Amino acid sequence: MTVLFLLPLLFLAVLSTLTSAAPDSDYHEGLVLQPLPQSSLLASFNFRSNTSQESFEQRHFRYFPRALGQILQHANTKELHLRFTTGRWDAESWGSRPWNGSKEGNTGVELWAWIDAPDDDGAFAKWITLTQSLSGLFCASMNFIDSTRTTRPIASFEPAAHHSSSQLHLLHGTLPGEVVCTENLTPFLKLLPCKGKAGVSSLFDGHKLFDASWQSMAVDVRPVCPESGECMVQIEQTVDMVLDIDRSKRPRDNPIPRPIPNEQLVCDTSKPYDADDTCYPLENTAEKGWSLQEIFGRTISGVCPLTEDENPGKETVCLRVPHERGVITSPGASETRNPDGLSRCFNLEPSSPFDLIIPEQEALTQVPLDEPALSAERTIVGHGQERGGMRIIFDNPSNSSSVDFIYFETLPWFLRPYVHTLQATIIGRDGIRRSVPVSQIVKETFYRPAIDRERGTQLELALFVPAASTVTLTYDFEKAVLRYTEYPPDANRGFNVAPAVIRLLGLRDQAQSYEYYSPVYIRTTSLLLPLPTPDFSMPYNVIILTSTVIALAFGSIFNLLVRRFVAADEAAALTAQTFKGKIFGKVVALRDRIKGKGSKVE
Amino acid sequence: MLVDRRKAAIFGAALVLRLLLWILFPSLPDLLTGRVEVSTPVNSFKRLQEGLFMYTRNVSPYDGGVFHQAPLLLPIFSLLPNAREYPLPTAIFYSLVDLANANALVTISDSGQALSGRLHSSLRKHVRYDGAAVAAWFLFNPFTIATCLSRSTNVFTTSGILYAISNAASGNSVNAMLALGFASYLSIYPALLFIPVVLLCYDQRVQKKKVSTNAAVFAVQHFGILLGSVAGLLGISCLVVGDFWQFVSATYGFQLLVPDLTPNVGLWWYFFIEMFDSFREFFLGVFWLHLACYVGGLTIRLRRQPLFVLTALLGIFAIFKPYPSISDASLYFAFLPLYRHLFSLMRYTFFAVSALLYATLLGPAFYHLWIYAGSGNANFFYAITLVWSLGLSILLADTVFAALREEWEQDNPELRGKDVRQV
Repeated sequence: MTVLFLLPLLFLAVLSTLTSAAPDSDYHEGLVLQPLPQSSLLASFNFRSNTSQESFEQRHFRYFPRALGQILQHANTKELHLRFTTGRWDAESWGSRPWNGSKEGNTGVELWAWIDAPDDDGAFAKWITLTQSLSGLFCASMNFIDSTRTTRPIASFEPAAHHSSSQLHLLHGTLPGEVVCTENLTPFLKLLPCKGKAGVSSLFDGHKLFDASWQSMAVDVRPVCPESGECMVQIEQTVDMVLDIDRSKRPRDNPIPRPIPNEQLVCDTSKPYDADDTCYPLENTAEKGWSLQEIFGRTISGVCPLTEDENPGKETVCLRVPHERGVITSPGASETRNPDGLSRCFNLEPSSPFDLIIPEQEALTQVPLDEPALSAERTIVGHGQERGGMRIIFDNPSNSSSVDFIYFETLPWFLRPYVHTLQATIIGRDGIRRSVPVSQIVKETFYRPAIDRERGTQLELALFVPAASTVTLTYDFEKAVLRYTEYPPDANRGFNVAPAVIRLLGLRDQAQSYEYYSPVYIRTTSLLLPLPTPDFSMPYNVIILTSTVIALAFGSIFNLLVRRFVAADEAAALTAQTFKGKIFGKVVALRDRIKGKGSKVE
Repeated sequence: MLVDRRKAAIFGAALVLRLLLWILFPSLPDLLTGRVEVSTPVNSFKRLQEGLFMYTRNVSPYDGGVFHQAPLLLPIFSLLPNAREYPLPTAIFYSLVDLANANALVTISDSGQALSGRLHSSLRKHVRYDGAAVAAWFLFNPFTIATCLSRSTNVFTTSGILYAISNAASGNSVNAMLALGFASYLSIYPALLFIPVVLLCYDQRVQKKKVSTNAAVFAVQHFGILLGSVAGLLGISCLVVGDFWQFVSATYGFQLLVPDLTPNVGLWWYFFIEMFDSFREFFLGVFWLHLACYVGGLTIRLRRQPLFVLTALLGIFAIFKPYPSISDASLYFAFLPLYRHLFSLMRYTFFAVSALLYATLLGPAFYHLWIYAGSGNANFFYAITLVWSLGLSILLADTVFAALREEWEQDNPELRGKDVRQV
């Protein structure tokens, strides 16, 4: 009896030793909140777990999501990066990007992976397997990443340092037109160990997340080898979003913005016309008050109990505001202030909800925002649906140092660039525009032209922008006319052109101290390319009309060729001998007889 | 001497006109290069520049969807200075090619093959233009000038065809085959002219009593020469670009399968935009068969006038080839003055010329409405291409009628001028 009673306990003990015997798998999650200018709020969620390489290969998944792990193993994928992004990061007001842009993607879906395969064709076959499977897993149209949307960047991306295989192929695909929405968030949450039920992930609500000014969901799987010990497979899931505080605070059942009630208006009393019924409203200089409940519509429900830290909930939520800013937290949570005076972190209670209330307060100091090292803008110029031009403007704000970077763009095949028209101009701070030879700005070019219906254009340029100057690159392109079945149903909306990816070089030295090299990426906005359209209602008419013209030409020429000439007077005699002529003669004779009969009767 | 002076004056005036247009309107060549009526994917100068850019940087120009022209053009054009910075050498080069083409036309006209040959002799021999007038027709045709200014590589195909015919008309059968081989190498469709060119050579040789073999052996021998010249050019191309199959599929495969549906004055582009996918291959076959079927019909029926067969086939190509441009029409129009004596027998000249003028004037306007103004749709330009093709085919059928009528009058001189019927 005692034995039977002890058996489950023994089992539990064995289990606990088993799990503790695998200290190499761990899980960590965190949330960083940072108010941004223009009453925006940046929320960065990060979920990271490690699994030992051995247990990954033996399909012993603990924190690593089984569904994703099996796909990666099936597709021989050693490193995977997947991004779902909507909106535009406003670098002018918000400064440099979170995670240096490395967790951000092109508008829509962007996917790149290192695949272990003996040759290019094998890698592409595995890539197709991967995109099809991920498409099913994430409810996204990644199955449309075909050969025309797949490229093999040379210099824009680098694998994690710790790959064991030497036959790795990098493939990159992007879907700029994909609409990222709730159906992509649900599978994303299911990959998390706590599945959005506890911990910071409980804040995710599709209504709020996809209402953000900008949001980016990232999944990164990469091998990581610590200095000592076994190599690990790391999965890192990141969600960054910039919420408009005013917009998020609107109640869901009454989302229409209303004017501020009269009694809440702050009026400029110095105006001569200021009276009870007239008011010149003053801008509210105080920083907006908000709380997690208001912004996300819910509070953090405790701590994900799977985090392996000794003190679960320790410094899970961090807030980047100056120390003098008043913050009210839920009871039970404790606060740790960073010595830099600009941020603080909160230790959460394991099983009680956590809310953060920031009351409205006059702003005294601001958290300084980093200025981006380079700003880039890419637009389509020209008019008409026949041809156009691409213009890319790189602006280096620094007055002392030049910026080296890789510019990478993929163009759909129906946009035909003319690289020989590539031109560069430099504008210094003096505002004078100077044309310079392209070779002075572009140090290296990798160009793979498109083939119709087979592959897209891939253009990678190693560029540099001198200090305190703006470089403009332009080139011409031509727009192809597609077959009518190749147009989408909304053909006149235009076609999406994927954003360009810019990878800044020369910042490696600063990054050496991090656990892995974190490059700086900038992405431009996606473009809309209007193509000439045929008349979609016309296939039958066109087939009929063209065939008629061809038949007219064919008929008239061959009619001339197969007949012979006779004089007009001989023709009557000749026609009488033919079958048609005989029948015609009979008809005439019959008519004459009837006529003759009729006249007799009369 | 007098004729020579006239010819020199016409050639000089044509050269000066071209260079003046180039110098006075420096943006005109680029404007014309961008016009769909002049530049097609297989002859556009801008695409040639792109190919040249890649060729001079040791990238295969055929590993992409832009360049579809013959490889030998690359080393030739890489000798010329960059057309964007120094446009004049290119301008002079193209103008000289135009003059050379006109010179070939003068040779054809002077050979008198249009009026009388081995098997036929026109009743209206006195009704004719001389060589200089024929050259003037060609050189001052606005379509020819537009083609020259747009630097379309079609002019080299035109040269090949013209020299093939002029050599055939003057009896240099080997040179004729080499020139035809060059034209076929540049854009495959001139190979369809092989039979009438060989017949013209044969008739000419028989007339000069230089040939003893029969026509079939003669044709086979010359087919060998044609194949040899094309093979030689392909061999040299292989040395130039390396990958043989890549350039063959990018040039000839492109012309045969018509994957690029950029608008042009022909009938193929809109038809294949709107064609159902499952029937695309079928209709490609039908269109090519249709283009080729005229060769047999015209050659058999008009066996006595091989030069007229060539003229009619050039007209057919201008209407029905996959990527036609106005330069094909200008080549056809260049041959018409050789048949001055047939003009009186044509019935629908006014209608055909009106249709062509109508299409010429409204084509650019309707294209603008579709592409730039957005107030029209693709059907506007499509309708104009239909009118253009219809006008050309009426003109073509009319000249065929006139040629047949003339031939019939040669056989029946007593019925000249009488009403005729065809049965």
